[in-house]
Amino acid sequence: MSADAARAARVAVVSGAASGIGAAIAGRLRRSGWRVAGLDLQTAADVDLAVRLDMTDAAAVAAAVARAEDELGPVEVAVSAAGHYAMAALADVDDEAWSRMLRVHLGGLLHLTRAVLPPMRSRRAGCLVAVGSEIAIGGGDGDSHYAAAKGAVHGFVRALAAEVAPDGVRANVVAPGPTDTPLLAADSPWRDPEYLRTLPARRLVRADEIAETVRFVVEEATFMTGEVVSPNAGAVI
Amino acid sequence: MPVALLTGAAGGLGVATARRLAQDGYRVVVTDRTPGSRLDDLAAEVGGAALAADLADPAAARRLVGEVEERTGGIDVLVANHAYMTMAPVEEHDPDDWWRVVDTNLGGTFALAQAVAGPMTRRGSGRIVVICSEWGVVGWPGATAYSASKAGLVALVKSLGRELAPAGVVVNGIAPGVVDTPQLQVDADAAGLTLAAMHAEYARDIPLGRIGRPEEIAAAVAFLASPRVGALVGQVLQLNGGSTRTRA
Repeated sequence: MSADAARAARVAVVSGAASGIGAAIAGRLRRSGWRVAGLDLQTAADVDLAVRLDMTDAAAVAAAVARAEDELGPVEVAVSAAGHYAMAALADVDDEAWSRMLRVHLGGLLHLTRAVLPPMRSRRAGCLVAVGSEIAIGGGDGDSHYAAAKGAVHGFVRALAAEVAPDGVRANVVAPGPTDTPLLAADSPWRDPEYLRTLPARRLVRADEIAETVRFVVEEATFMTGEVVSPNAGAVI
Repeated sequence: MPVALLTGAAGGLGVATARRLAQDGYRVVVTDRTPGSRLDDLAAEVGGAALAADLADPAAARRLVGEVEERTGGIDVLVANHAYMTMAPVEEHDPDDWWRVVDTNLGGTFALAQAVAGPMTRRGSGRIVVICSEWGVVGWPGATAYSASKAGLVALVKSLGRELAPAGVVVNGIAPGVVDTPQLQVDADAAGLTLAAMHAEYARDIPLGRIGRPEEIAAAVAFLASPRVGALVGQVLQLNGGSTRTRA
């Protein structure tokens, strides 16, 4: 990329960019001409700037966004894709697991939003996308803490969308169904052929489908805000 | 070159959608209720073909699909965008007209979907995109027929999405909010307002502070029509500027 083109390129911050859905989103945005700062516990590979951090650390997230603004340019898009998945009966969810689930998904989104929003509002342009989940909509046996975290993400984004719309900033959720990423263990019940036969699409969602949906929301769905888009193989409707 | 059949093509959303699909590499067959130079000119512009059909008549919908299947070798994408709309207070809505709204919007789309479902499932691929409406999700005072027809389309999309996904046919919808099309004149007339006042009135209730552009809806059609995302099943994208609240 030439220096001029690099300066002209628009900038996105993607959390969870080192693997799975986050990595697919970062790569898709880059191929569409964006410069991407990837925030993750691990070093993201397919990005223009990799920052290693824990999304539960508000100061670290704020510093990473400031670095992205400084090194890449004004951040126009923020995608919250950092997360982890675990199934457990409610009786087996201890305080630490509960807290971690909420701190990563909801706290990570909150910290990212707080860091990117002031400059977005002052520039009167910006777009936030949070990766939610079909489990936030349909629930599921053994998913109480994950559903609570993702449900909070959906509610947060809908409220945020109303709050920042007058400033020209959009906020939406992309809520995948079970997706073929390393987040799903090889022996995960979501990979069980018997489960897959119950899905209308008869298969897991591919990470590239989530990434393409995020690209659409970011680049083309300019009249959409506060919405939940669900590429979920038909798991919930 | 993939083939798209687009209904309601002469309207505001239709023209923008025809242009976008042509730009994305589709051969677009444009249809509307009445033949004429507007439709012919659009077909010439997008390099497609023009056909007229009154979709309130299920037989006409079936004939349309049959003819396009035969002439093109197969419809890859059906975009059901046609709509008939009248508004009236519930006590005053003429029952025949009420049913014409429902028969055209809901019945016409069902007939089209029924006709393309066979060929698409035999080929194991296809996309159906149905233009629903925000009014079919949240209702609208004075628009019982239109809202009921569009709510029917939302449920049709969900059911067809579930029914056809196992065969590789992807069905989704779009529920646009208020969009800048000539249709707004109908609303303005019903409300006794000038068109400009109607625009302002709608924009005031939309969080993003403006009404939508036809090109924004067309972009969503192109997204749902593309083969890139098959994991969307029976979804209805709400492009409405963030409206979630109803106001009397």
